[in-house]
Amino acid sequence: MDAWDIFGASLAAALVIWIYSFAYRDNVLYKFAEHLFVGTAAGYSIALAIDSINRVAIKSLITSPATSWHYIIPLILGATMFMKYSKKYYWVARYGIAVNVAVGAALALRTIPMANIIAQINATILPLWGSDILKIINNWLIFLITLGGLTYFLFTIFPKKISGRTSPIYGFYRALYLIGIYGMMVGFGALFANTIMTRVGFVISIYLIYLQPYYIATIIATILAAIAILIPILIRRRGK
Amino acid sequence: MSLAVRRHIPQLIVSIIIILMVIFYFFYIDKTVSSQMSTADKALSDWAVIITGFALIVGGVDILRYHMIQIRKQGIKQAPFSAVTISLEIIMVILALIGLYLSYVAPYLGITITTQPQFKWMYTYLYAPSDAAMYSILVFYIASASYRAFIARNPMAMLLLITAVIVMLGNTTIGGVIWPGFLSLRDWVMTVPNTAAFRPITMGAGFGVILLGLRLLVWREVSWMGRRE
Amino acid sequence: MKPLDVLEKIIGSREVLYTLLILAIILPILSPIGLPVTISSRTLAVYDYIQKLKLGCHVWMELNYEVAARGELEPAAIALIKQLFDKGCKIVFVSTAAYGPLVFSLLQSMAPDVFSGKKYGIDYVFLGYVSGGEAAVASLARSVTGTVSTDNYGNPVSELPLIREANKATDYDLAIIVTSATDTINYYVRQWFTPYHVPLLFVVLSVIAPSIEPFVAAGQAIGMLTGQRAAAEYEVLVGRKGLGLAAMDAQSISHLLILIFILIGNIVYWVKRSSQKSKR
Repeated sequence: MDAWDIFGASLAAALVIWIYSFAYRDNVLYKFAEHLFVGTAAGYSIALAIDSINRVAIKSLITSPATSWHYIIPLILGATMFMKYSKKYYWVARYGIAVNVAVGAALALRTIPMANIIAQINATILPLWGSDILKIINNWLIFLITLGGLTYFLFTIFPKKISGRTSPIYGFYRALYLIGIYGMMVGFGALFANTIMTRVGFVISIYLIYLQPYYIATIIATILAAIAILIPILIRRRGK
Repeated sequence: MSLAVRRHIPQLIVSIIIILMVIFYFFYIDKTVSSQMSTADKALSDWAVIITGFALIVGGVDILRYHMIQIRKQGIKQAPFSAVTISLEIIMVILALIGLYLSYVAPYLGITITTQPQFKWMYTYLYAPSDAAMYSILVFYIASASYRAFIARNPMAMLLLITAVIVMLGNTTIGGVIWPGFLSLRDWVMTVPNTAAFRPITMGAGFGVILLGLRLLVWREVSWMGRRE
Repeated sequence: MKPLDVLEKIIGSREVLYTLLILAIILPILSPIGLPVTISSRTLAVYDYIQKLKLGCHVWMELNYEVAARGELEPAAIALIKQLFDKGCKIVFVSTAAYGPLVFSLLQSMAPDVFSGKKYGIDYVFLGYVSGGEAAVASLARSVTGTVSTDNYGNPVSELPLIREANKATDYDLAIIVTSATDTINYYVRQWFTPYHVPLLFVVLSVIAPSIEPFVAAGQAIGMLTGQRAAAEYEVLVGRKGLGLAAMDAQSISHLLILIFILIGNIVYWVKRSSQKSKR
């Protein structure tokens, strides 16, 4: 690693510590790191967008204009998106957005019935009797919880409760509704547990990649962050 | 400009493209027509790819404008921070454009936008660690929220807590030390009740997207055009 | 002050919790415990599936995760790449997220041994970032050369031998989607599996795994590797120790700490509730 890389890696460790310092208190070093992040992220997005446009459209137009001539149309439509800043001609941007919205909607619309609905229904239609008891219990659970969840989300108009008595239909509906809710509690419990795993995993990887190899920079950045947090507290206490 | 040009023609474009792309996907007439439909379908997808690039650039420009306005509104308090954002954004774009220029003028150097050395340094040592830290700071809030969220107040919350404990112990190696069955139990929870619980959500999301597509088709969905009129 | 109030004050103090959490992460890394990693049947099933792929197969790998997600996804991705390269498989990398070029360069820097001896353009290619989300995925499925004219490094894709061999979705034996976003999974299920029936493998963050399970259960993917646990298991299977294994002790201790806090929170709640009931 050359000197610039070592300086960069030390700065990286410092940025991580200053961003983490926000968990304790907002401070000037966190603000600096946050604004640095926003600036580099925005610059990076613009750069990669230019890269994508260059490699998909511009290079194609230069190397094979016979087959790629139509890329001029999205290039013009894309450029018109900047018209959104105009008070008089803001509507010109809608043409480019229209194409994008339409293509996105169409791509999803034509494949979702198969991917999200039919395939899922197929996967729910499972044998509910047989010799393998464990498999049958699992199949019943999948069937009932899926049906219960669908009842909870989609069939939201309850059958009327006849005064004084619970009708069999209402009872059946209510049972499915409750199975759905309890099933979802299991799902959300798993989701929360996995969320903890993911977030802890993020911190572990950051420690291993950015902080542990450059521990001197980490310690200096921590001391600076502590000073940045303590100084406003002390100033406020003195003021009182 | 008339309402037709400002609103109706963009909406008509949306409807026509949706109808055309659905026809391209589902209808087969003969091999020649199918091949032409396939080419047209791909062309429309490529157009969306290119226009999305411009949308990202517009997003970046929006951030620039926002921070310039912040400097004007909030003065010396915000100026140093917004100046950091603006200057870094501009520097990164300039470095990227240098990489683009070199890729055309001197391709033998092998430099492109993403391999321009100073641009690479900035994204490796400034963007990457700060991006990582921003996402991961949530662990502190999730840890402090978890012991409040996992109070077993009623049977539903108890079920949530039990499932979370099983999955947490199944996810970690210490669970295997406490009881080797936690791993299999976690796999069962994920493949049976969890799958069944999220299946209606998957299907519901599918229905939602279909409805959105149909609403766009019949001009009922206008939020994509913005609010100004 | 009552012991219960002291306990409540301790768990309510975020500074104490945050500091304990940081120590629970750092100390097991500095002084590893070495808890054994058992392989789950689901991870083994994925490993066996890839082992059964033909030698020299073509694999598509989408890298769609931010830098923060490297800890959960990169170890599994590297282990998969090692297994595929050991089988002589050829990999085309792409990203439909702007951070793609960044994470690919970081992945390569973490695993130079895996890529050593492999020729760019013949054994692997990186197409770079292609904007457009689902439109990009659909377009690439139809034709790679018809979508991008150069790869990430400026090489014309039509001149790369690997792209000449595998130019569309149906040319690939497996598509591996390494992602932190559920949207990307949806795009590939809709644009690669539904029309072309390309086998999909998901490598995802733990947090999105519950919502992706229905696709795996419906047979729209051959399997799924979830988070750091699956990454550690896969590293054991391919015989290359990496960040996944290094992180497991820290994961265990920090999870244990959070479980202790949950237990204390429940004890405080129930003792307070029963004492309020008995007062009435």
